[in-house]
Amino acid sequence: MSNIEKTAETSSEPNAAVTTQHPRRITIDPITRLEGHGKIEVFLDEQGNVSKAYFQVPELRGFEKFAEGRPAEDMPQITSRICGVCPTAHHMAATKALDALYQVTPPPAARKIRELFYSTFMTEDHALHFYFLGGPDFIVGPQAPAAERNVLGVIAKVGIEVGKKVIEMRRKLRELMALVGGKAAHPVLGLPGGVAKRVTADDQKQFQQVAAQAVDFAQFTLATFESVVLKNSDYVQLICSEMFTHRTYYLGLMDEGNRVNFYDGSLRVVSPEGKEYAKFRPEQYLDYVAEHVEPWSYIKFAFLKPLGWKGFVDGPESSIYCVAPLARLNAAEAMATPLAQDAYQKFFATLGGKPVHHTLANHWARVIELLYAAERMKELADDPEIIDPNVRTLPTAKPKEGIGVVEAPRGTLIHHYQTDERGIITKANLIVATQNNAARIAMSVEKAARGLITRGNVSEGVLNMVEMAFRAYDPCHGCATHSLPGSMPLLLRVHEPSGNVVATLRRDFDGKIQRT
Amino acid sequence: MEKSSGHNEPVMAARVRVLCLGNELLADDAFGHVVADRLVSELSRNAGEESPAATAPADIEVIKSSLAGLGLLDELTGVSRLIVVDSVQTGNAPPGTLHILLEDELRTPAGPSPHYFGIFESLGLVRRLGLPAPEEVIILAVETADCTTLGGNMHPAVLAAIPKVVQRVAEVAASLPRKAAS
Repeated sequence: MSNIEKTAETSSEPNAAVTTQHPRRITIDPITRLEGHGKIEVFLDEQGNVSKAYFQVPELRGFEKFAEGRPAEDMPQITSRICGVCPTAHHMAATKALDALYQVTPPPAARKIRELFYSTFMTEDHALHFYFLGGPDFIVGPQAPAAERNVLGVIAKVGIEVGKKVIEMRRKLRELMALVGGKAAHPVLGLPGGVAKRVTADDQKQFQQVAAQAVDFAQFTLATFESVVLKNSDYVQLICSEMFTHRTYYLGLMDEGNRVNFYDGSLRVVSPEGKEYAKFRPEQYLDYVAEHVEPWSYIKFAFLKPLGWKGFVDGPESSIYCVAPLARLNAAEAMATPLAQDAYQKFFATLGGKPVHHTLANHWARVIELLYAAERMKELADDPEIIDPNVRTLPTAKPKEGIGVVEAPRGTLIHHYQTDERGIITKANLIVATQNNAARIAMSVEKAARGLITRGNVSEGVLNMVEMAFRAYDPCHGCATHSLPGSMPLLLRVHEPSGNVVATLRRDFDGKIQRT
Repeated sequence: MEKSSGHNEPVMAARVRVLCLGNELLADDAFGHVVADRLVSELSRNAGEESPAATAPADIEVIKSSLAGLGLLDELTGVSRLIVVDSVQTGNAPPGTLHILLEDELRTPAGPSPHYFGIFESLGLVRRLGLPAPEEVIILAVETADCTTLGGNMHPAVLAAIPKVVQRVAEVAASLPRKAAS
């Protein structure tokens, strides 16, 4: 043992104090909400059924103010530090915003190096997500006991060898990211008009080798998904269940052939019926995307501006859209690589045609995108132009305004900067995937609560089912994600029509559910 | 991520790693990184004062990271003792309160979002896969007031906890057996 023992200073034991600190609070006040908790406030009608449910989470604040007065060219480095989960996506969106700001087009090799780097990142992120993050719900299974629905449960099911294979693939992909990006964690690759480092013939060989392995690995993963999930009719039934279904619009970045592209292209929106609603250049995003504010949440809810805010409704009357793997597949007409295209066709054939409105299908869509990312990585690694040493176009124009968009693993990410003529930021805007998805997530939580709370009966299972409703989106709620212990406590309060709290469920840092 | 060695030993696997988690951009979440900076200067000073001839202080490596969960896999392996310095929001203690825990004292539920896949899940994975996991993990976490305001200031009580944590880590370092000079 070390000198450090558990001391009197420790107050790790959670208690119910949190729910008794405000015993008479009957209104929802986001200012006094408990930091660090996800909170669900459920309001019942006279019959004891759900009339409204609100979901609140800690949210990152102050980006606009923080960015003002800083040199725009610092943004690829700074913004990559605001999120501990996908720094690479912020780095790339910021780099593309700088291209636009300085009105400079990167040389072909630089563009390809960026996309190669980004495809490597997407391959790694999607692989880890599928096995270790989404796996507890799908590989272990939604009905499994809560104690097994974790990463160890995933390993128990797929085997240690597969677990090691995932870790090994991750290591190789991260080594490649460090090779061109300087650092895998916080890359220093992107510069306005190009990249900081060229790819040599030796680098190219390494990329070719790992990319081929990544394609094999992605195919293996797809086969694993099919054998574990698709052959289990209970899972398929759950994916298709009404509780996890919302008929909304879908948004994603597409190439000129309306095929998914993570790095560049036009933004395409399809309607709940699957028809193209809009297709626009990233710099036109403010004509199509607006944000709605609700008094009970810090999160701004993105919606389709031309349709106007119509509330949290889906179907033909909706103005809500969503992003992330399922949305990208719905917004596309095809995948750009052959193996992913086969998988894409099977996906829609199995789930009843386009668009697929089942939130939990995001997990399958992610595996198809993993295959695409690996195939695209291989295409770019094999491209002779990738080793062209001309990787930078020096900016000469005066900066004014720049918008950069990429598809982050969790959905469309928009960076928007305005600067003075010295390139100092005067105004900045950031729309992250979770904002694009926020309205649909709110609907998912309410729908799950409606389905699980009737006549005032609140079962403890409601927390797990409500969680599943938003786990599939992998929402980013505030970026202080490394704050211990990694898992966010969850609080659910049920109010009578008068506002009085009739039941409280709290799942705490120690995993126990407390009922008061 | 930045690595700093506390002394000028030849490169070898550290026996103690102080993993300082946090984000300098997010108010109180800067805590871990500020502790790391203090520790590095403290350890360098101590190393300078000691005679290197007979014994050397235990190998201590200080690492700063602002990554989360699975992003930390590499930082959790290849060391015998791991000290994690981080922020925490239990909501049950005033800001600045220091929580000191061993790994098995904190059980975590499956997070509501994969974004909340934490260090313990990562450690569990490392052990299950037979990767070189630390024998002991100690967590020093300070209760924070605000970890979500970009560019926000640190709470005075959180700032005041910094020397306490630096001292604790120094005590652990001092308690380690000295290895013979080669």
